[in-house]
Amino acid sequence: MYQSFVGLEIHIQLLTQTKVFCNCRANFGDEPNTNVCPVCMGYPGVLPTLNEQAIEMAYTVARALNCDLNPECVFDRKNYFYPDLPKNYQISQFHEPLGRNGYIDLEFHKKKKRIRIHEIHLEEDAGKMIHAGDMSLLDYNRAGTPLLEIVTEPDLEIGEEAEVLLQELRRMVRYLGVCDGNMEQGSMRCDANVSVNTRGAGLGSKVEIKNLNSSRFVRKALSFEIERQQEILERGGTITQETRLWNENRDLTESMRTKESAHDYRYFPEPDLPHFRTSDEFLTRVESRLVELPAARRARFVADYGVTAAQAEFLCDEKSTADYFEAAIAAGAEAETVATWLAGDVRKQLNRHGVELTDSPLTPTRLAELLSLLAAGTIHGKIAKQVLALVFDEDKDPRVIITEQGWEQITDPAEIRAVVDRVLADNPKALGQIQSGDGKPMGFLVGQIMKATNGRAEPRVVQQVLSQAVSVSTIEVYSFGGAIAGHRQEDGLVVPGDLMSLTSLFERDPELPEGIRFEELQLGQFLSEEITPADWATLITRTATSLDRGSSRGIVVGHGTDTLSYTSSLLYWFFADTAVPIVLTASTVPTEAGIRSDAVENLRASVRTAAGEDRGIHVVYGRDDFFALNLKFERSGFTAVPRDSEDAPVADSEGFYAGQFRNWNADGLQRAGRAVAPTGRTMEPAALTQAMEVAIARSHIVKAYPGMRGETLIAIMDAGVKYFVLEIYDTGTANLRESPFSLRRAFAHARDRGVLFFCTSQQEGVVDFSEYVTAHALWREGAIPMGRLTTESAWTRLIAAQVEATAAGDTADDAAFTDRVLSLMED
Amino acid sequence: MWDRILSDARDEYARFLREQDAPTASFLEIGAPPQWSAPVSAEHDDALSASRPSVTFPIAVKDNIAVKGYHLSCGSRMLQDLVSPYDAAAVTRLRHAGAQFVGKTNMDEFGMGSSTDTSALGRTSNPWDTERVAGGSSGGSAAAVAQQLVPVALGSDTGGSIRQPAAFCGVYGLKPTYGTVSRYGLVAYASSLEVVGVLGSDIDHVADTYRAMRGEDAQDHTSVAVPGEALQPAAADAVKTIGVLQGDLGLDESVARNYAATAEALRDLGYNVVPIDLSTLEYVVPAYYTIAAAEASANLARFNGVRYGHRPVFSENPEELMRQARSEAFGDEVKLRIVLGTYVLRSGFQDQYYTRAQKIRTLIRRELDARFGEVDLILSPTFPVQAFRHGDQAMDAFQQKVADRFTGTANLAAIPALTVPSGLEGGLPVGMQLMGPAFSEEKLFAVAGRLATVQPVVFPDGSRSFDEWRTANGAGGGA
Amino acid sequence: MDTSELKTTIDMAMLELDETQVASLEGAVGQMLEYFALMSGIDVEGVEPTTHALVTANRLRPDSPRTDVDPDSLLENAPDLEDRLVAIPNVL
Repeated sequence: MYQSFVGLEIHIQLLTQTKVFCNCRANFGDEPNTNVCPVCMGYPGVLPTLNEQAIEMAYTVARALNCDLNPECVFDRKNYFYPDLPKNYQISQFHEPLGRNGYIDLEFHKKKKRIRIHEIHLEEDAGKMIHAGDMSLLDYNRAGTPLLEIVTEPDLEIGEEAEVLLQELRRMVRYLGVCDGNMEQGSMRCDANVSVNTRGAGLGSKVEIKNLNSSRFVRKALSFEIERQQEILERGGTITQETRLWNENRDLTESMRTKESAHDYRYFPEPDLPHFRTSDEFLTRVESRLVELPAARRARFVADYGVTAAQAEFLCDEKSTADYFEAAIAAGAEAETVATWLAGDVRKQLNRHGVELTDSPLTPTRLAELLSLLAAGTIHGKIAKQVLALVFDEDKDPRVIITEQGWEQITDPAEIRAVVDRVLADNPKALGQIQSGDGKPMGFLVGQIMKATNGRAEPRVVQQVLSQAVSVSTIEVYSFGGAIAGHRQEDGLVVPGDLMSLTSLFERDPELPEGIRFEELQLGQFLSEEITPADWATLITRTATSLDRGSSRGIVVGHGTDTLSYTSSLLYWFFADTAVPIVLTASTVPTEAGIRSDAVENLRASVRTAAGEDRGIHVVYGRDDFFALNLKFERSGFTAVPRDSEDAPVADSEGFYAGQFRNWNADGLQRAGRAVAPTGRTMEPAALTQAMEVAIARSHIVKAYPGMRGETLIAIMDAGVKYFVLEIYDTGTANLRESPFSLRRAFAHARDRGVLFFCTSQQEGVVDFSEYVTAHALWREGAIPMGRLTTESAWTRLIAAQVEATAAGDTADDAAFTDRVLSLMED
Repeated sequence: MWDRILSDARDEYARFLREQDAPTASFLEIGAPPQWSAPVSAEHDDALSASRPSVTFPIAVKDNIAVKGYHLSCGSRMLQDLVSPYDAAAVTRLRHAGAQFVGKTNMDEFGMGSSTDTSALGRTSNPWDTERVAGGSSGGSAAAVAQQLVPVALGSDTGGSIRQPAAFCGVYGLKPTYGTVSRYGLVAYASSLEVVGVLGSDIDHVADTYRAMRGEDAQDHTSVAVPGEALQPAAADAVKTIGVLQGDLGLDESVARNYAATAEALRDLGYNVVPIDLSTLEYVVPAYYTIAAAEASANLARFNGVRYGHRPVFSENPEELMRQARSEAFGDEVKLRIVLGTYVLRSGFQDQYYTRAQKIRTLIRRELDARFGEVDLILSPTFPVQAFRHGDQAMDAFQQKVADRFTGTANLAAIPALTVPSGLEGGLPVGMQLMGPAFSEEKLFAVAGRLATVQPVVFPDGSRSFDEWRTANGAGGGA
Repeated sequence: MDTSELKTTIDMAMLELDETQVASLEGAVGQMLEYFALMSGIDVEGVEPTTHALVTANRLRPDSPRTDVDPDSLLENAPDLEDRLVAIPNVL
């Protein structure tokens, strides 16, 4: 086994007004050679003068990175010739850098890691050299811009870790207001040192990689380079100590031939600059510049506001967002609601309008106002979203918009009762139908009431008042295929059917509350193995509409056993925050003349659960109420019971049911929780279908098996798959030993293309990569552990996450999309 | 007198300069009168407001000090065509004090030499004997003053570059305390050693010029404020004891004789002249040249033909351009010092040379501190020989360096030193050096002033003051 | 200094000298280094090097932009310009 050591040299450009050693503006995007003076152009006779802001910012970063602050910092000249370096020496620090022995703590796929900082020093940037035909052109606007170089110890092991470090550092310097952290524009730059050696043998030959101008390139280049060095060692070769350049067009590193003499920088103390000694007053100013840093703030958000780690990460990514979040809370909003809205609908509006949160018309006060109006029932969810859109369009307070639009919700039961009575009087036929036991017209009546109030009636109050008025409440029963809705034909084959006939069998169930009516809907007439994205889209849209209208007391979905674990977990990711019970059920035996199927009993139990108070997603089967996640179906012996048997149901779990469900890792599962795709579920059916089709096409389940070849996975990636759910052995092992059957090559390929592997287990157990050597190797290769989730649940979450990212409009580029998906895959 | 000339007779004075400079060629550039003065911004630091003398006379400036609109050649082919876009800080302060800048004087290339003969742009000769050198590197400034072209000229002193030519030409030459005059605008040769200073024929002019320039400057962070007590002219009894060096100092006989005579003159003036010993003296030159070369190798790296300066006719790529520009445009002495400086900084050699030299520098400073606890000032020769002939084999480049031991001491120790004219030996001037502790310039002026009463400045026969020239010319139908 | 060290040093100093020049430089450099060797005659054990004599610490400049010299006047000295960019040859 090999071990890799990666150290980074990160340069950040400080956001000072002037350059580090002269009075020129530190704006290098301006017209060429306009922000220049004799000092930064390296004219004869000029002298550097140290910028007080630059040194203060530099010490602030050193302090934030837990460095020992040098009480006396000294500048040195670093001598080398290059046309963009005006003096042909760079004023830098060598012997006495301003900070040493620091660290930064990272969290990478749930593993915490401390990366030590070797030193931090302040220096000046060079100009820019542009190549044009047989000439090179020089712009010195950038020359002399303050640069802070942060040098880490070789504590990193893989490209992904380096990427995480850069992202965390970027957040940190943005929080401190000392750098904009833009790698593409070069205000944050990175060189890397890579060395690979046999495990336990210490550092190998060091290879420096340059030209890494995005955190993604850093990841890709490091992955490539580690792989390259490992291959050389495997072939028995030796690594040449050298400098290599990352070629972003060819996705590889290339040797950059340099003269040996170019490496002797002949550092000596800069005679033109006095030493800088820190005073108490200076250190006090440095302390006062420190703000709560991203890591601390994330931890506090989780602890104080009860948001999830993923939400905290999203909220704390930018200081402005975190400040906004807290401002909204200070303005009276509830934390979790703010977090959900910011990540979903608000984000969608921001993307649509192309504005930053802090520049948008939606002030924290306005968001808090909107959410309090929603919480108070002044408006309901759908209206709230419309109000939000209008805040962006018209730049007005939510209350003003609601008044102008006449959108105040009617919540007064008496007022609604008057409307209900009028609607009932106008629709005697529907009323009659309901009273004779058919719940179907309930939806129609709710629609009429809403129409009569211009959609302003509060749906739940409408539901209550209407139920009282007609003395019934509705349970919606969706027929979604499977044996439960099927019939066995004369020839013995099972054909698709619906549940219509079944409900009539138990509508007089004494265990049901009085006045339950059913609204049955045929959402598909198919076998569950034939489910398509469009079917799921229909189910989701219908469920969303029903929940939004609040017209039902509960929802029952009849489903086949084969794919139930997919649909149940999918519904969980979309509707975990449901206010009513959503119950999925199935049967193993179709209804058939002369045979008593389990279909009826399961459906009856489901309806009871749907009529109950336990909100969340249920899977009712036999005598059990399962969780929607981590469901596994195990078929057992088949025993059919004659229909006319006296004691029905036959309570023999061994025999009556031709199979049984079980929840893996049931500890810690919940029926209700946070929805992954609250925005996604509000999409139009066609758009949702398309989003799901795309998501599914991009997501592939692979089960590791002995002899599986890495090339196979590469071929799948080549076919357009971006995300894998990889079912590995036990809680974290797979074949990574070098051979055609190693997955390593596939992982390397995946890293190059930004393809992700989410790992689940073939056995019951929690995948966290903490136990086995190969698990650690998987983690090093960039695989992401899915914890307690089964393959089905992980995969549906992946689909939901992509739908949500699509709905929120995070489709600008692949990387942003993947980042969003990644954050939605984490808790 | 000078203020009247500068307001009423500028054209005539310009003609005088051109005409009278011919024999010695001390100027590289003589400005047209409109170029002599430039508007200075009203906004200025407090340091300039009160207690600054007015310096309303014409000043010549060594061509390594920036005067806006004039060339800044440093006596090098490299910068032959460079026009300075800015004023040195010292120049700005003198403009405020009323000075006008009439031209730029010749020098050894980048200050590297003791004869002005390493200039790539012309040969300057000693006004006392044009077969002889004016000294260097501020040879042009010294010759211009001795030739009576200007009352005062600015020079720079890295290891003796003001004092040695002052001695060769028989004028005063002040190397101030390091940092008391801003280096902003002085083209760097050895940053930690050098300073802008003054050459002049009248000690009061020299003193006033220094007083107008001194003080902390925002553009030079190594500049220092002169402590309040050292700002005022020194009291008559401020200097009591003067040390003189003992033993074989390796001097030419004429210089040795003059040294003894000058010590005697001081004793006659009432000073307590006592023998002292400087044990570190023999380490001055190696330490000085190690540090100077090291700093020079970096300071001259900026000259690469890219942004300004000499560019080769043809080159294929940036590196070739830089190599050719530097190889074509630097003279041999400059190349030698750059290579030497590069070498002493290389990893593997740095401790042995550069760092050791900096440690010796500490020992030299300590020893001088100790001596200045015993004596107020030290009198030493400026240079072991008088002005030598152009191309003198006995004074080759190496011997010239070895001879820097008396002057180099003050640069390593950052202390002030003043060369005073001390009469003639064999028809050529000799100059002795007075050194004092940091910020003791006023004491140096005071002693020089008293010495002038017994050893007055003399001018060479061929020289004429402007008044003399005008009178002679006026008779011929001039002004 | 042997000839190859001298050549490396010349290369580092971004100079290019022909053999005659190298030979003449070699003599001068050797003479100086020999002279520098005198420095080993003094004990410097435990002595701090002087890098800045008399210089006081903590000189700082306020971070406010100022233009004292017209940038265009700096470009006037450039041997070759393309618009506002300093141009140098680079034949690939």
